[in-house]
Amino acid sequence: MHVELRGIEKRFPGVVANHDVDLTIRPGAVHALIGENGAGKSTLMKILYGVQAPDGGTIVVDGEERRFASPTDAIDIGIGMVFQHFMLADNLTVLENVVLGAEKLHGIGEKARSQVREICEAYGFDLDPDALVATLGVAARQRVEILKVLYRGATLIILDEPTAVLVPQEVQALFANLRDLVASGRSVLFISHKLDEVLEIADDITVMRRGTTVGTADPRTATKQELAELMVGAELPSPELGEDTVTDVPILTLSGIGLTSDTGRRLLDDVDLTVHRGEIVGIAGVEGNGQTELVEVIMGMRRATSGAITLAEEDITRLSTRKVRERGVGFIPEDRHRHGVVLDFPLWENRILGHQTTRRVTRGPLLNPGGARADAERIIADYDVRTPSVHTSARALSGGNQQKFIVGREMSGEPVLLLASHPTRGVDVGAQAAIWDHIRRARHDGLGVLLISADLDELIGLSDRLEVILRGRITAHFDPDHVTAQELGTAMTGGAA
Amino acid sequence: MTILASAPPAVRQYRHLTLLLALAAVVTVSLVRVFTDESRMTTPGTLRLALIAACPILLAGLGGLWAERAGVVNIGLEGQMLLGTWGAAFFAYHFGAWAGVLGALLMGALGGLLHAVATITFGVDHIISGVAINIAGLGAVGYLAQTFFTDLDGGGPRNLSGYAVPAQITIPGISDAALWVSDQRWFLVSDIAAAVAGVTTRLSLLTILAVALVALTAWVLWRTPFGLRLRSCGENPQAAETLGVNVYRYKYIAVLISGAFAGLGGAYLAMVASSSFTTGQTNGRGYIGLASMIFGNWNPTGVLASSLMFGYADGVSLLSDNGPLVHALLLLLSLILLGYAAVKYLGGERVTGIVVALIAVALLVWYLAVDSVPADFTGMTPYLLTLFVLAVASQRLRMPAASGKPYRRGQAG
Repeated sequence: MHVELRGIEKRFPGVVANHDVDLTIRPGAVHALIGENGAGKSTLMKILYGVQAPDGGTIVVDGEERRFASPTDAIDIGIGMVFQHFMLADNLTVLENVVLGAEKLHGIGEKARSQVREICEAYGFDLDPDALVATLGVAARQRVEILKVLYRGATLIILDEPTAVLVPQEVQALFANLRDLVASGRSVLFISHKLDEVLEIADDITVMRRGTTVGTADPRTATKQELAELMVGAELPSPELGEDTVTDVPILTLSGIGLTSDTGRRLLDDVDLTVHRGEIVGIAGVEGNGQTELVEVIMGMRRATSGAITLAEEDITRLSTRKVRERGVGFIPEDRHRHGVVLDFPLWENRILGHQTTRRVTRGPLLNPGGARADAERIIADYDVRTPSVHTSARALSGGNQQKFIVGREMSGEPVLLLASHPTRGVDVGAQAAIWDHIRRARHDGLGVLLISADLDELIGLSDRLEVILRGRITAHFDPDHVTAQELGTAMTGGAA
Repeated sequence: MTILASAPPAVRQYRHLTLLLALAAVVTVSLVRVFTDESRMTTPGTLRLALIAACPILLAGLGGLWAERAGVVNIGLEGQMLLGTWGAAFFAYHFGAWAGVLGALLMGALGGLLHAVATITFGVDHIISGVAINIAGLGAVGYLAQTFFTDLDGGGPRNLSGYAVPAQITIPGISDAALWVSDQRWFLVSDIAAAVAGVTTRLSLLTILAVALVALTAWVLWRTPFGLRLRSCGENPQAAETLGVNVYRYKYIAVLISGAFAGLGGAYLAMVASSSFTTGQTNGRGYIGLASMIFGNWNPTGVLASSLMFGYADGVSLLSDNGPLVHALLLLLSLILLGYAAVKYLGGERVTGIVVALIAVALLVWYLAVDSVPADFTGMTPYLLTLFVLAVASQRLRMPAASGKPYRRGQAG
């Protein structure tokens, strides 16, 4: 399928998400669309898939101008999309998810099942049509999404950041699948901001910045550096450590930590871990292997079923979250909307949260709005939080600015330990560099830092030491100076290390 | 229409469990009946009363299931049932029994339409809209009854009687034989015979319709593309939208059907459970229907089983001089809870197991300490049972993932 987008424009109240977007997709090729978060890639994809209607511009498919009122129109002419956040119903089976909306093709019964089996075989997908989607892992869910698209006979397949949730081995499996698809004459539109992957898989590259396409590149000749400069309009930051500040004074010690769920599953199993002053310890692992629980146990959000946690020579195993925070633990949570900020509170009130017992922002049982506002102003200035004022609600800020504000708040009140859980998830490159700086500065100031991340480059670049967590156990240790993402990925999935 | 060769795994597992549980329940009931010598526990009369009490709850529960499977919480079932009672009385009085049933369906669907417009088109919170419909339904029925029934023969400002109702059937041979066997009070055999007699003697056609709707609901929702689409709206409407499903349309259809089922439940109250209409006849059964839907795990057969249980409690509360019978039921409940506690404890949920066991022991002590339960208390049985059952069982239940959540088109991805 030959698809041309010309002069696409899309406005939302207050923002221009896309303008003057031009894109040409050849049949039988992988076309990569790259750009930072917020560059307008996802909006463009929703327009191409008919989820949203453009305010201007034309879509030409095989020489014919098209208008999509809904995804149904896009599906009808052979466009399929795999969303970044999977569009699957957990409580339905694989088969039900696949045939939903396409019941007219082969019904919902035996014929559809054999059709699904056939596609699975053709592309080497290992999926049981009758398994509940709730029981599947991330990579398998992604295959269900691709299966959905193939079942409808799509000739253009859009993949929105498909590798964001995969470990390196799974990425390779996905790429093999994509090559098979292209070989059978289909086109793939691959959206990403990971340049290595783009250079590896793409036949054509188009770069987006601030809502518009700024150029194309040939993957055979382009370098990462050139692409990065096109993407951000400046040089790409990288996570790196400066001088060695590691001491041998332990600040956080976990010994034999175990956690059993209500149903008897071992979520954490005999975890031993030490973080020293001036040291960043990175935890690598596929999501859902106990990282969340580890953080919750340290923060006192859940109580360990066995073992002891020591913070600066004090036993904090049984302390409440507030007491743990009062002892000087800063916490950047993995989901800032669930744990980090109250979205509808202004920034100065968010400044108080987590510090309800600290003198600067409270006065005995009362709040100290003046002090909180002044201190929020300080954070906004020191941490470069882009906001009109301290009275703005947190919701109005971009993800990166929310995160910078959280980092600033957590670094207030002289902490001794920083727990950073996915600190740069969902933030743009600029904020990412700033947050890396702040973590480095915390290390320089003698804090211990426990860093949990799914971004292997970040882990390898920032950590002094790397620990791998697998099924609730620490299974491997690495020196970040001598480890590759590939080796780390192998250890994370429990392969032969 | 293609029929699935094998049922989905969830359904298969469910059937297996239901069968085992039913068998255990029957044996336990029979044992307690023999032990306490409280024969009224399983006479055909009691069971027939239980079935009649169960049907309105069943219909309300099925109605709730339709709406929630499409992602809309319909707490307005009570109000829609009320509208149904009036619709049944009005149309049956003027046009005959089956016109009354149709009228109840329409009135209920009207209440459903109101809920659909509020929640789906205008995005009103489902609970608020539902509560408003319950209050408005009560007011509307009071007004309608006063306006249309006051001057009728057999009518008054708050009631109406003397209209036609759907026929009752008795299956000749089986009914008499089962009645005879159940009179012998043999262990187990007589109890089962009583159940058979209960469903073969003076059985209303509406009862048959209600039970048939269970099967119809299960078939439509799980075996047809229409049902798949409707359920997908309750699980992940954004995903459904990206696959070309018109989510609004399915939600509207589901809530209309939901209201119609609740209206039919109202018709049952006004035509089978009693043969006259009074305002406020539902008396909270819409809410109990909602509870039976939850306890039935949003599953048609589950709703059937749980509404039979609630219906039994409701039926018993209607019997005269039921103190000793409720007293005997304390022993039954205590035994069932002990079994449940054992299952929980062995399954690793020790705290739950111990708490439930303590409740069971408390009931047992109560049973041993007194001879009869005061009449004031017996009327509360169905409601207390509702609270109790939900408190104990709510941990294992799983509602449709997107039920009660607002949905707007164009937000996928």
